[in-house]
Amino acid sequence: MAWIMKNSAGMTVPRRTEPYLDDELKAKLEAEVMPRYPTRQAATLPVLHALQDKHGWLPFQAMEEASAFLGTKPSEVADTASFYEMFHLQPKGKYVIWVCQSISCELRGEHDIVKAIEKKLGVETGQTTPDGKFSLMHAECLGSCGSGPCALVNDKLFEDLTPANIQQALDSLP
Amino acid sequence: MPLNQPVLTKRIPTPPWGDPRDRKTVSYEQFVATGGYVGLKKALAMEPKAVIDLIKASELRGRGGAGFPAGMKWSFLPPEDGKPRYLAVNADESEPGTFKDRMLIDFDPHLLLEGIAICMHACRLDVAYIYIRGEYHQQAVTLNNAVKEAYANGIFGENSILGRIADRWPQCHVHRGAGAYICGEETGLLESLEGKRGWPRIKPPFPAVAGAFGRPTIINNVETLAMCGPILDFGVDWFKSMGKGRGENVPPSVPASFGPKLIGVSGHINRPGVYEENLGVSVKTMIEDYCGGMWKGKKFKAAVPGGISMGVLGTAEYEAELDFDIGKKYSCLGLGTAGVIVMDEDTNMVSVARNIARFFAHESCGQCTPCREGSGWIYQLLCRIEAGDGTTRDLDLLLELAGSMGAMPGTTICGLADGTNWAVRTIVNKFWDDFEKVCKKSNTISLPVVG
Ligand SMILES: Cc1cc2nc3c(=O)[nH]c(=O)nc-3n(C[C@H](O)[C@H](O)[C@H](O)COP(=O)(O)O)c2cc1C
Ligand code: SF4
Ligand code: FES
Repeated sequence: MAWIMKNSAGMTVPRRTEPYLDDELKAKLEAEVMPRYPTRQAATLPVLHALQDKHGWLPFQAMEEASAFLGTKPSEVADTASFYEMFHLQPKGKYVIWVCQSISCELRGEHDIVKAIEKKLGVETGQTTPDGKFSLMHAECLGSCGSGPCALVNDKLFEDLTPANIQQALDSLP
Repeated sequence: MPLNQPVLTKRIPTPPWGDPRDRKTVSYEQFVATGGYVGLKKALAMEPKAVIDLIKASELRGRGGAGFPAGMKWSFLPPEDGKPRYLAVNADESEPGTFKDRMLIDFDPHLLLEGIAICMHACRLDVAYIYIRGEYHQQAVTLNNAVKEAYANGIFGENSILGRIADRWPQCHVHRGAGAYICGEETGLLESLEGKRGWPRIKPPFPAVAGAFGRPTIINNVETLAMCGPILDFGVDWFKSMGKGRGENVPPSVPASFGPKLIGVSGHINRPGVYEENLGVSVKTMIEDYCGGMWKGKKFKAAVPGGISMGVLGTAEYEAELDFDIGKKYSCLGLGTAGVIVMDEDTNMVSVARNIARFFAHESCGQCTPCREGSGWIYQLLCRIEAGDGTTRDLDLLLELAGSMGAMPGTTICGLADGTNWAVRTIVNKFWDDFEKVCKKSNTISLPVVG
């Protein structure tokens, strides 16, 4: 829910010396992404995507570095990042499983898929397995309603799921 | 009469002409070898204004939900002033039941790029952004590859066949969203493109006057743009020979439903998928002739005509025609995206309403109180009713709440809340028995609601 704000008063930001947005990534973004837009702020989403692809989530320090790069305030980057479902402001598992829970998929048996995954991983929706391998999430329509139930595991889509084939699919992930 | 040739699915094997298992991404070479970019060449031989007039004459209506005439939208742009003007392509496709744009991007991305180039030429736009939803990972890769091919072959970039537009070489970029349905709303999309949260803007000003980065901007759906190449190539009469058209004695000022349409069918049917048919095809024909009939031989109960925002068709509306007049005729919001969701006799409509209300409560951007609070409240009411703890009074409250929210009643900024409104009201009204059955009689007497 995009409009629920986080309690930030008195929060301390954990820091490390090594930057998240390193020179190599900066140079790549500067060459490939920045020239596409008339303002630097417009590159916020691509920059956040690049940071998350690299680190798996978006620590506050990474957002601060992004804001310095984009010439905006850190709060503006945090504002944008916290609005979008796909940006993780907390660490997530190596594989993030997004099961579509919208209507076409529910009609074709989404509940059974979620139950099968919860049983297999021993976690509930919204949680990460203790070994940090899987996070199970609910998603709204993934745009493959014709091959539901479906789930996105990181950037790969699994379609026509059954309780059996989703278990196999998860087993096959390294 | 069924469509007599595939148009948007010309290169995408689709029944009855082909087998979906044979679908492959069409490369630039294959696209050109099968008549691709001919429509663009014809457009480039014309004055920009003549291209707009031609699209206007074709009466092509937007395929992204609202059905606004594309040519008319294009003619709202102010005169050129030499500064940047943008095209924002809406590939955010997040409306449950809608998966048609994804098919075009997956398999025939150049058809979209051709439409983009035509629009840029006609409207004098020098930069196009394709706003694609973040969950479409693979599709963004496919699209990026196609854009690269298009640059390499002189469609965009330096020495583009479009020539300089406002003294700049035309550019086309893919911009990925990050998981927010509201970024499909055109001004939410623009905010997101500018790097902000996807909060829809209050209109006016309309995007054609002040859109992306405060500059004139055209926003069109993927399928709308993909239709432009074939229209330029084969002409207005050819396009208007398809679809529903205008009835006899109907004045030309009344908008009609010309042309073919991608129709994605999902839910309780044997062969879900995206098909192409004339606008005006019936739900019955789609289910029986294309989708192999109802799943497990069950009976039809209800269908969503075009994405859940549009509400539902009742059991007796099995033969409803899928065209832009469907809203008026069958008391739903409209054709939407023509993403049909079919439900069989065993479906519990209370659960359907609960699922749909959760979607809207989850996707509300939170700017407007009726939408933010109302959708959450409606969802909770429906959970309660589904659990068997509801009263008939809750049903009245549900209808009152739903009916009060939306841009049409004038209480919210954007149309998301109209979706909540129509989805909830049509389901409750058309399937009242399903709800009443599980509700206890209220033991308090409610005061009559005024107004
Ligand atoms: C809440 C909401 C979500 C929308 N989502 C989409 C979408 O995902 N894709 C789309 O093309 N249009 C969407 N629209 C419609 C757009 O606002 C806009 O009308 C459309 O992109 C215009 O293109 P067209 O005229 O070619 O149809 C949405 C509208 C609303 C109110
Ligand atoms: S109607 Fe809902 S989604 Fe639209 S702007 Fe208002 S709160 Fe946001
Ligand atoms: S409803 Fe599940 S992908 Fe659309």
